[in-house]
Order: sequence, then C-alpha cells, then structure tokens
Amino acid sequence: MTELTAPNLVASSTRSDRRRKLLQNLLRGERPYMLYIAFVVLLVVFSLSSPWFLSVDNFLNIGRQTTLVSIIAVGMTFVIIARQIDLSVASTLALSGMAAALAMSQINNSWIVGAAAGLGTGALVGLLNGILTTQLSIPSFLVTLGSLSMARGLAMMVTNTKPVIITNETYFAIFGEGSFLGIPVPIAWTLVAMIVGILLLHYNVFGRRIYAVGGNPTAALYSGINTKWVTTAAFVLTGALAGLAALVLSARSHAARPDVVQGMELDVIAAVILGGCSLFGGRGYILGTLFGSLIIGTLNNGLVLLGVSSPLQLVIKGAIIVAAVAFTKR
Amino acid sequence: MELSGSIAAEPRPSTALLMVGGISKRFGGVRALRDVNLDVRAGEVHALLGENGAGKSTLIKILSGVHAADSGTIEIAGKPATFDSPARSREAGIAVVYQDLSLVESLSVADNLLLDREPRTRFGFVRKRELMARAGTFLSELGIPLDTKATVGSLPFAYRQMTEIAKALMGEVRLLILDEPTSSLTSDEVRILFDAIGKATRRGVGVIYVTHQLNEVFEISQRVMVLRDGANAGTFVTAETDMKRLVNAIIGTDRLAPAALRAEAAAARSFDPSPVLSLSGVSKDRLSAVDLSVMKGEIHGLAGLIGSGRTEVLETIFGLRPVDSGACQIDGRPWLPRSPADAIAQGVALVPEDRHVQGLVLDHSIERNITLPRIPHFSRWGFMQQRAAARRADAAVAKLSVKAQGASSLVRTLSGGNQQKVVFGKWNDPRPRVLLLDEPTVGVDVGAREEIYGVIRNAARDGTGVLVVSSDLVELIELCDRISVIVDGRVARTLVRGEIDDAEELHHLLQIYQASEQGVLQEPHA
Repeated sequence: MTELTAPNLVASSTRSDRRRKLLQNLLRGERPYMLYIAFVVLLVVFSLSSPWFLSVDNFLNIGRQTTLVSIIAVGMTFVIIARQIDLSVASTLALSGMAAALAMSQINNSWIVGAAAGLGTGALVGLLNGILTTQLSIPSFLVTLGSLSMARGLAMMVTNTKPVIITNETYFAIFGEGSFLGIPVPIAWTLVAMIVGILLLHYNVFGRRIYAVGGNPTAALYSGINTKWVTTAAFVLTGALAGLAALVLSARSHAARPDVVQGMELDVIAAVILGGCSLFGGRGYILGTLFGSLIIGTLNNGLVLLGVSSPLQLVIKGAIIVAAVAFTKR
Repeated sequence: MELSGSIAAEPRPSTALLMVGGISKRFGGVRALRDVNLDVRAGEVHALLGENGAGKSTLIKILSGVHAADSGTIEIAGKPATFDSPARSREAGIAVVYQDLSLVESLSVADNLLLDREPRTRFGFVRKRELMARAGTFLSELGIPLDTKATVGSLPFAYRQMTEIAKALMGEVRLLILDEPTSSLTSDEVRILFDAIGKATRRGVGVIYVTHQLNEVFEISQRVMVLRDGANAGTFVTAETDMKRLVNAIIGTDRLAPAALRAEAAAARSFDPSPVLSLSGVSKDRLSAVDLSVMKGEIHGLAGLIGSGRTEVLETIFGLRPVDSGACQIDGRPWLPRSPADAIAQGVALVPEDRHVQGLVLDHSIERNITLPRIPHFSRWGFMQQRAAARRADAAVAKLSVKAQGASSLVRTLSGGNQQKVVFGKWNDPRPRVLLLDEPTVGVDVGAREEIYGVIRNAARDGTGVLVVSSDLVELIELCDRISVIVDGRVARTLVRGEIDDAEELHHLLQIYQASEQGVLQEPHA
C-alpha cells in the first residue's frame, strides 16, 4: 500500500492535446456548436430575404450597433460565471457618460480627463455593487436593482435631465468616429474588450478563481480563495466596461444624455446567456458571449431591413431568444 | 464467482413481494448489471451491499423506473411488472427514500406528508384542520414521534428521514428502498431510523437497505445480497454469515490486505517527537481552551460525538473561524490562523467533511479542482501556467490512482472514493506540514477506503502531521498514533496507541465522558 500508481489511466498533455483544448476554449465552450449554427441560420435567412443584408457596409453597421451590448457583455460574462447578476449596467453607462462629459466641460476640455471620469465612475458603481453584495451578503439581483434606479436618478439629477454637449474632436476620433487600421473605433474597442476578457478569463489566474467561485463558492473558500474579493472584481470590471461603452456612445452622439439605453441590461444578459453561460454559475466563455451579442444585433438589423414593425420585432426577438436558449440547453 | 456460503434464492412466489429475475443493463460499453436475481419478502429487510460502481444504484434505478432493464423480469406479488417511468413504479407500490431527501423544507411535516393530496374544499382551498388531523392520526397509528406542525427544515436529519419514510408509507407502499440512509446520522439518530424501519416492516412492507456499513447489516437485515462488478456475488442469510465472509464477497478475497500486514505497517511507523502544530487555550464559540499538539509524522485522531466541537477544531486551525483567545504555533513559530489563504500559505491543508459542498467543484475537471488551492503557484505575471498545472494534476492522479479517463474528466462523473482522492490530490504537492481530515472515508467503499488509509499513512511517513476527525472509531484506532477525546469543546483526554485497542472500549470512554460532562450518572451501554 505504499506506491499507488496507475500509469495507463494518466492523461498525457501532449502539444496537440493542448491545441485541441485551446480550440475548444475559443470555439466550443460547453455547448456544442448550436450557437454557431443558430448564427449561420440567421445569416442565411436574412440574406435570402433582404437584398441589402449581405454587404460589408451592413455588417459594419451590425458591428457598430452591437458595440455597446458586446462591450458590457464581456464584463457580464464574468459576473454571471461568478453566480451573480448586474442589472445596473445601462444606468451605469448613462451616469458614466454624464460624468465624462461634465468632467471635460469643467476641466480643460481634456479628453483624458473625460475618459478617466467615465471609466472611473463606471468602476466605482461596480465597486459599490460588489461591496454591498459580498460584505452585506445581499443578493446581487437586489443590490443592482437598487443601483439601477440610483445611478439613473443621479445621472438625471446632475444636470436636471439636460444633455451635456461634448466638443472635443480628439475624444470623438478616439472613441466614436475615427478608425484604427481601417476598423471603425467602436468595433476596435469591442475587440479590445474581447481580447482583454479572453486573456483574463481563459489565461489569467483570475479566470480560474472566477470559475471556482461560481462553480462552488464554499469549495473555493475552502481552497483559500478570497471569494469576496474575486466577486467584487467581476463587478468592478463590468462597471468599468459600462464606462467604456459610455465613452463610445457619447463620442458618437457628441453629447451625453441621462436617459440613454434604458433597458439595455436585458439585451446584455440575453447575449451572455445565449452565448452559453450558465445562470447557475461556473460555466461560460467570452467568444460565446460575442456570438450571443451578434445574434441579437443581427436580429435587430435584419428585422428592420425586412420592414417588420417595431412592436412585432420585440415579439420575434423575445421568442427567438427563448427558443435559442431552449435549443442550446443540455 | 465466489458463491460458497451463499444460499440459492429459492423461488417462493407465495411469499415473495418482489422477484427480480436475470436483470441485465448496459450503458454504452459498460455492463452495469449482469443477470442479477433478487427476491424480497413481505416484512423483510433485505440489505444490498457492494462497492461504489458495483451496480447498486443501477439496480435501484431500474426498480424505481428511472432506467429500463435491457433484459430480465420483475414481478410484484407474483404479477409481472414493467416500469417505464418512476410514476409507474410508484403505482406498483415501490418507494425510494433517497440520500438527498425529496421534502419541501419550508413546509411543515403534515404539509409534506399530504403534499398534493391535501384535503380541500370544492374551490381548491386547503382544509388545514383536517390536514393536521389526518397527518397526526397517521403518525400516531404508526407510532412515529413527529410533531406535525414542525417545519421540516428545522428538524434534525434523522427526523427528516422519518418524515420521508412516513410519507412513503402514507401512500400504498409495499416495497421501500433506502439508499445509504445513515451516512449522515449520529448513532442516536440511527436508532430512531431503525425504529421507523421496524414499524414499516411490521406492517408487511418489504425493505431494500443499501449501505456501506456492515455492522448495520447485522443489526437490521434478515438477508443480504452482495453485488460485485454488476453481478450477484452471493446472497446470505444474515444470521448465518459473518463480517469476514461479507467483506470477501464485496471486494473479492484476493484484494483483501491481510490484517497482520496492516498491523505491521502501522507498528513500523514512528514519528518525530517535535510538534509541527500546537494549540494552547484556543477558544472560539463552542471551543473552550483547547490544548492539542500534533507531532511531525504523527497521525492524531479526534474522537467525540457530533456537536462536541471536533469539526470546529479543524476549521479554526484552517482559518475559517478567527480565534478569540489562546495561542497557536506552527513549526515552533507563533501563528494565529486568520483565513484559509493564510493557513494554506503556512502549509495547512483541509480535507473537509462534505466533499460535494466544501471540497469540490463538481462540474469542473479533476485538473481544475486539484490546482484550485495552488493557483498562486501557477501564476506568472498573473498568467496561468496551464502546462505546469496539468503536469501537477497528472502526477496527483497517478500517485493517488484516481480511476478516471484522465485529468480532464469532470469530477461529477467519478465514484465517491475517487472524488475523495481528488480532494486529497488538491494537497498532494507541495506536501503540507499539517493535514486536517474531517471524516475522510464517509461514503467511500471498502476498497477505496484502504487506499485512502495508504495515502494518509504515506503523508505521515513523509513527515506531515495529520489530524483526523472520524465517527468511525475502528478507523481511528487503526490509523492513529494518539487519539484525543473531545467533549464539549475541549480536549478531555489524550490516549496513546496501545492504551486502548478496540473500538468498543473507545466507545465506552466517549459515553462516560459525555455523561460526566452532562452531570448524568448513566451506565454506558455498548
């Protein structure tokens, strides 16, 4: 009973094995291919039914329209894998936009100040969400339901609901209207968020901790992981990304408005769940989230091109989301 | 096939409640059951033994209609029956009491007993008074001492099981299947459960009793069937067999390590008389001034009844409960555990009591679980060194002989014993200074148990100080160099190997200390 060995049962970690695993991480995640099939089906259906759908311009359009949802959904992926939810993201976006625009108008009209104020405000809301959830053990559903309302209210209070005009050209170029290597900057920022998300979730030790905390919080605690800190960090990341989305939106519209993107949190959550995250935590992957968000964006775009009335669009969108989740469920 | 000493299951259609003939079941390439026969008589407790993976669960799932058998017959009271759903099995009078109970914890006992069968008015309103009365009458008829108004969630575990059994009996149940019902009960609670089982059999209900505990088989069953590798390994009349024959049937004679050899292995071990961990006067919540020391290479046991504070001692050392007062030293240096991360950094490891809740992320791979407490080791500039992590996991899987396809298998798919080995694997490398074990072999079959003992002894031989809590007194006596008796949050006495040599003596001792603590003069009964 001294040497316990079972050589034939040990997995070998060969190079090709690693590569296959990497591919799995990126492409498949836990839900086999259904997501991609659904996306392709959507593309085919819309291409056949609308002559305008299949064009580079239109795809750039879809990319631009899904930017806000995609950027925030990266953060939401972390939050949902950690078994939490953040309902406050749309309000956080509005508040961060106001903070960015006001900071610029007060301090030198500097785009750096604006960007710092926007990102900082978002991260701060995330920090508060995280601290209230973990330190006071209030379910994040309730905490963020409260901050959804508070952040929106604050955004409206600061200017008495008036929009704030932005005039800094550099700010427009960096976040809204320029392009980088031929890619429109909103899409470039989405890619940045995605890549950071993939690195953090799939390659960084932080990702391991997030999966463990969501998979089994008690076991994570018993393994020496500071579960409160890890959970809070996921909220901070999501808040900061809502701040980034605010910069993109305000740079595109040359102004920050306190009443923008109401209800967008639902699109964000739908994108993450469509992308294969489990609402029970412990499962999910970033590229899935991107596709989830693209499916929602493509739906929005395609239905408009088909001339579907907007109330009917809502009904169809909702039905397709439920159907897709039902299909991809294991 | 070892069948000596077994009696053939004689066909007795007049008295047999359940007749299972030649049942076979395949899952893919695995033959889970091969030509299994079983008969259960009315009013009989028929025990079912076997290692994890021997086919017990599959057999139960076929009887309860979860799986369909590939071949074979089932007869209930002489009539052929086929179950294509759990509902059909229930209609035929078969009820399964699962390990995780199917009660609504927020409702009362009465509400649970009559769930979905509530007496109601024409408009669907519940007649509360009639409901309470019916539940109360039923329980008193049965002689089960349960308060109908008590919320199920607030009851001790044994009483919940009793509720579950009562609920099963309330329907027209003829065969009751209990799947490891005592795995989380104290010895007093086991009494209560056995009492309830007795009440059921007296009403003519047949019971299939699945367990890992051989002593329970002798206490409660009339006959016992052993499954090994999906086939009958013998059916015995309990009164005509003994522990040794059953163990042989369960694991196959060839695999049983001779007792003499084990004793030798234990005696050959010696430990360094320098404490790797010592507590003096540690107090917190229910702990009052705990004094304890664990030497390098020692296996030190903590014996005590449930609620005595055994688990709290381990949790305090692991930093889960900040110490109120007292001092603690590790390797001669003063240290007060502040958090699990702090304890791990000092070389303290914990294999917790409930591996599903506290030990493992079931839906993640073996590799992910094994590397979980070592994440900081694999971080280079924040990036996970995935290859190094995989190597270390492979090494642990090999060393502990975890039976799995590979380190990427999901932990959920493993048997109980192999899951427990994965929990040990979390602390395989680097070797911990202090290894805390809370009920290390609960729900683990006989074969895997021996392997886990081997793992524990190896760790001690390498110089780790091991502190082990166990309700299994035989286990403590077999493993430990010293045993500390915990009574009411403090160490009442520490015994050295040789001072006591059988479980019965230790059991007496615990009873005596407990009685004196409560100021009750009570003759301990074995």
